[in-house]
Amino acid sequence: MLEARDISVTLGRKQVLYGAGLRAKPGATTVIVGPNGSGKTTLLRAITGDLACRGSVWLDREDMRALPPHALAECRAVLPQASVLAFPFTVHEVVRLGLTGRIALRPDAAQLPARALDRVGLAGYGGRFFQELSGGEQARAQLARVLLQVWEPVQDGVPRWLFLDEPVAALDIGHQLQVMYLARRFAQQGGGVVAVMHDLNLTAMFADHVMLMLDGRVLAQGAVREVLTEQNLSRAYGCRLRVSSPPAQGATYILPQAAEIA
Amino acid sequence: MVALPWGRGTERDATGDRSERARLTILALVVFVMLAAVASLGTGAAGVSLGDVLAKWITGEALSLRERVVLFDIRLPRLLTGMLVGASLAVSGAVMQGLFRNPLADPGIVGVGAGAGLGAVLAIVLGAFLPPAVLAFTGMHLVPLAAFFGGWATTLILYRVSTRAGRTSVATMLLAGIALGALSGALTGILVYIADDQQLRDLTFWGLGSLAGASWAKLAAAAPIMMLALLAAPMLARALNGLALGEGAAAHLGIAVQRMKNLAILTVAAATGAAVAVSGGIGFIGIVVPHLLRLVMGPDHRFLLPAAALLGAGLLLLADIISRLIIAPAELPIGIVTAVLGGPVFLWILLRRRGIVDM
Ligand SMILES: Nc1ncnc2c1ncn2[C@@H]1O[C@H](COP(=O)(O)OP(=O)(O)OP(=O)(O)O)[C@@H](O)[C@H]1O
Ligand SMILES: [Mg+2]
Repeated sequence: MLEARDISVTLGRKQVLYGAGLRAKPGATTVIVGPNGSGKTTLLRAITGDLACRGSVWLDREDMRALPPHALAECRAVLPQASVLAFPFTVHEVVRLGLTGRIALRPDAAQLPARALDRVGLAGYGGRFFQELSGGEQARAQLARVLLQVWEPVQDGVPRWLFLDEPVAALDIGHQLQVMYLARRFAQQGGGVVAVMHDLNLTAMFADHVMLMLDGRVLAQGAVREVLTEQNLSRAYGCRLRVSSPPAQGATYILPQAAEIA
Repeated sequence: MVALPWGRGTERDATGDRSERARLTILALVVFVMLAAVASLGTGAAGVSLGDVLAKWITGEALSLRERVVLFDIRLPRLLTGMLVGASLAVSGAVMQGLFRNPLADPGIVGVGAGAGLGAVLAIVLGAFLPPAVLAFTGMHLVPLAAFFGGWATTLILYRVSTRAGRTSVATMLLAGIALGALSGALTGILVYIADDQQLRDLTFWGLGSLAGASWAKLAAAAPIMMLALLAAPMLARALNGLALGEGAAAHLGIAVQRMKNLAILTVAAATGAAVAVSGGIGFIGIVVPHLLRLVMGPDHRFLLPAAALLGAGLLLLADIISRLIIAPAELPIGIVTAVLGGPVFLWILLRRRGIVDM
C-alpha cells in the first residue's frame, strides 16, 4: 500500500500543491488525471523523492523518503515525463542502465535488455543510437529501461512499483494499448502502477482507481464511475464534457458527433 | 590510434552491446602503452640506446654509471610522470564531461587547469606564510595539494555557475571557464611578478608545460594524489552513466547523486591539480582522448574511464618522444606538441558535432 498524505510543494515562489494525497494499492492501476499545470507531475515527483515537500509518503508503513537511493531503486522505477540523454548510447546501453541492484545478479541478466525491448515492441532496435530514434520510440525505449529495473512485479513477497508520467503521450494508438496492457499485466502480477495520463478514454479502460486533480488539489478520487463524471470533468477541464457509456449489447447507440444541430 | 575505421558506430552490432569491443580496445591499449613506454625509455639526447642496455643485461655485463643515471634517474621518472600525467588528464576530462553531461567540458579549456596553476604558484610564492604545522604536515606535497585546492575551487564555482536544476548550459560553462581561467592567469602573473629569486627557481622547477624537469622528488610529491584520483574514478562509472539520463533518473536508478557529484569534482580537481603541478598545462588530452574512445567503444564509463587512462598515458608518452626528437638535441615543451596534434582534432570534433542533436 502506497500512501501520500497532505503533500504540499512550493516551486520558486509559487505554491503548486496544497495538501494533495494519494492512496494506491499493489495489484491495481492508479491513474492521476487533470488539466495542464494542475500538479500531476509535481505530485509524482514529490512521491518519488525528486522534490522536497511537506507531508509524508508511506510505503507499507515505511517512510519512503527515509530510504536510501539504492533501497528505493529496488522497490520502484520511475518514467519521467521528458527524458534527456547526454552521450551517444545505443538503445541496448540505455535499457541496460535499468539493470541495477539484485536483478543484475541473475544468471540470465545479459538477455534481459533484449527481452525488455521486445515487450515494448522494439525488438531488434538494440543496436540503434537512442538519439536517432523517433520520439515515440525513445519513449518506449525509456519504458523498457524502467520495466527492466522492476522486472519482477513482486520480489521476495514485496510488491514493486512503477511510476509513469504520461507513458503513452507520444505513442500511436496501437502502442498506447500495448503499453497500457503492459502496465495492467504488471499490476495483475502483483505490482503497483501509478500513472499520470491525459487520455480519459484509456484511463476509463485501464484504471482501477482514478484521481482527478485541479489547481494543486485533489478534486475527486475513487473508481472510474465515481470520478469521471460530467460534473467533475466539466469543472476540472473548464469546458462542457459529456460522458457516454455504450449500452448493454445490441442496443442502439448514437454518438454525439453524429448529432446535427438545427 | 585515430578511430576512423569505425566511423560513427557503423560497425556496431545488431544487439547494441559494445562491451566486448570495449574489452578488446582496452587490451589493445595496454599493448600500446607498453610499446610507448619502451620507446620512451629508449629515446633521449644522451645517446644511451635500449638495445645496448638490453645486450649488457643479457650477457650479465654491468651498466656504466652514465647508463644507469640516464636510464634510472632521468628517463624512468620521466616515463612514469608522463604516464601518470597523461592518464590523469584523460580521466579528469572524461569524468568532467560525464559530470557536466557535455563532451566539450575539459579541465584545460574551462579554466580548471589555470585554477590549479594558480594554487601551485600561490603555494610556492606565499607558502612560507603558512603556519609551520601545516607546512610540516604537507611537506613535499604542498605544491600539488595547493594545485588540487585551486582546481577544486574552480570546478566548484564553475559547476555552481553553469548548472541549474541539474542542467548545464554549455555557453555559460565555456564563458565562465574563460573568465575563471583569465582571472587565475592574471593572479598567477601578479604572484610571479612579486616572487623573489629563490621562488622563481622553484617556479621553474615545477614546470613550464614540460616533462623535462621530471624527477623522482617531483614524482613522489604528486604521484600519490594522481593515483588516488585514478583509483577513485572507477567508482564513478555507474553514477556517470546514470547521470547521462539526468539527475532525477540517476537518483531513481539508485545512485546517491549528490555524493557522487562531490566525488567527481574532487577527482577532477585532484587529477588535474597534481598533473598541472608536475608538468604545467598540457592541453587537449582531456578532450581528445575520451572523444576518440567514445567513437570506438561507446560512452559507457565502466570501460571509458580505464581506456581513457591507458590512451592518455600512451599518447602523452608519444607526444613526449616527439618533443624530444623533433628539434634534438633541444626539446620542445610537450604542451606545444599536444596543442599542435590536439588542436586540429578538437576542431574536427566541433565540426562533426554541429549537426548532432545532443549539443
Ligand atoms: N520549476 C518550477 N518552478 C515554478 N513553477 C513550476 C515549476 N515546475 C512546475 N511549475 C508549476 O507548477 C504547476 C504544476 O506543474 P506540473 O508540471 O505538476 O503540471 P502537470 O499537471 O504535470 O501538467 P501537464 O499536464 O502539462 O504535464 C504549473 O502551474 C507549473 O507552471
Ligand atoms: Mg506533467
